Amino acid sequence: MMGEVLQKSWLDGALIDAHSRDDNEALIALYEQAGLASEKLGDEAGACFYFTHAYVFALEQGAPQAEQIKARLVGYGRDR
Amino acid sequence: MTIHSKPTTPSPSLEAVMRPVETARGLPNEHYIDEAVFAEESKAVLLNNWAGVGFGKDVPNAGDVKPIDFLGQPLLLTRDEDGLVRVFQNVCRHRGMILVDEAKNITGAIRCPYHSWCYSLAGELKATPHVGGPGNNAHDEIKRDDLGLLEVRSYVWRDVVFVNISGDAPEFEEYASDVMQRWKEFDQPLYHGGETSSFKLDVKTNWKLAVENYCESYHLPWIHPGLNSYSRLEDHYNIEEPGAYSGQGSFVYQQLKLNGSETFPDFKNLSEKWDTSAEYIAFFPNVLFGVHRDHAYAILLEPKAIDETVEHIELYYSQPLDESFQPLLETNAAFWKSVFEEDIFVVEGMQKGRRGGLFDGGKFSPVMDTPTHIFHHWVASHVNDLRTQKAEQE
Repeated sequence: MMGEVLQKSWLDGALIDAHSRDDNEALIALYEQAGLASEKLGDEAGACFYFTHAYVFALEQGAPQAEQIKARLVGYGRDR
Repeated sequence: MTIHSKPTTPSPSLEAVMRPVETARGLPNEHYIDEAVFAEESKAVLLNNWAGVGFGKDVPNAGDVKPIDFLGQPLLLTRDEDGLVRVFQNVCRHRGMILVDEAKNITGAIRCPYHSWCYSLAGELKATPHVGGPGNNAHDEIKRDDLGLLEVRSYVWRDVVFVNISGDAPEFEEYASDVMQRWKEFDQPLYHGGETSSFKLDVKTNWKLAVENYCESYHLPWIHPGLNSYSRLEDHYNIEEPGAYSGQGSFVYQQLKLNGSETFPDFKNLSEKWDTSAEYIAFFPNVLFGVHRDHAYAILLEPKAIDETVEHIELYYSQPLDESFQPLLETNAAFWKSVFEEDIFVVEGMQKGRRGGLFDGGKFSPVMDTPTHIFHHWVASHVNDLRTQKAEQE
């Protein structure tokens, strides 16, 4: 549990840092990572929140993983 | 600049402008100094017709976007993945936020900086994050197909991006058919001359005065005395197409030469006429064109305020020119810049003169001022049409 708290704290810091630099590639990777971590904990709502952000930044960037992340959201019934 | 609402003062009659040139007067002073009349005129003339707002060269690569403020209208000039130039309202369909605040290249989607709704370069709404609640990006009431960016009618001609804000002007190719036909021989690729072939002039005048000065040759020997040595007043002719455009032409165009012989390459397959002719046309409302056998230019008049205009000047050539042409390119740009700068005190002086309360719009020379009267008549006709429409609605 402590490890998860530490990881979340690190992710939050990394996300704030990536936002401050407008670093889309980092934002895509970090939000996807946060989504996967929430998914692992069985937290669908949290996972889809993070996947949504990963998807938006991937779409903005034209990053190839956009479709794959969207497919996850569609799979959860969170997008069309 | 923002277009205001209805005129608050009685609009001046345009009857005298509509008369034949022999007895006509120019547009009343209010069209240059009264905000309410200017707002009415701007709607009738600039928003209801095809106005120039930018250049294709401003978005040279797929994904390039450039925000434009035209009479307070927030526009977004884009070039999509297929190379097509489009113009959208630069406004998110969600909360009306401005989408793009500086020119840049979009590699994927246009993301609204407020709630991150995302649009493709073709204007399609692609993502609506959290629109159905956190992590829920869809909702039955959010129909993405109906919520794409609002596209403004646009058309690119001679690299100028024209828009019809009102959306109900005739098709551009019909609107511009006469001038397109006149210059059919020049309907061939244009290549911008690069950084030194682009400049702008900030002028304290109403945009119409720049049109009026451009379309007549009467002023040339007085304002551009340097032309007298090779291009006299009698070497010029009026270009008159009532209801569409007007301007002037010259029979004695001489190519710029450096080191005695270096010239720009000609446009292809021009008829003999163009060996020594050049034409300068004010394409109504706000774009001034010039064509010569070896180069062309476009001047876009951006109305910043009733008495402030930015003249955006871009020079084009018949083919891409390598570094060896740089001295010629710079000399040609410097020449045109000096000519257009000579006109500044005139258009600024006429603007100040419009404060003269006894000035009656001015008396035209029936011989030398016909291109100017054609422009005034065109403006007055559109303002009268708008007034008629309003009267019928009331």
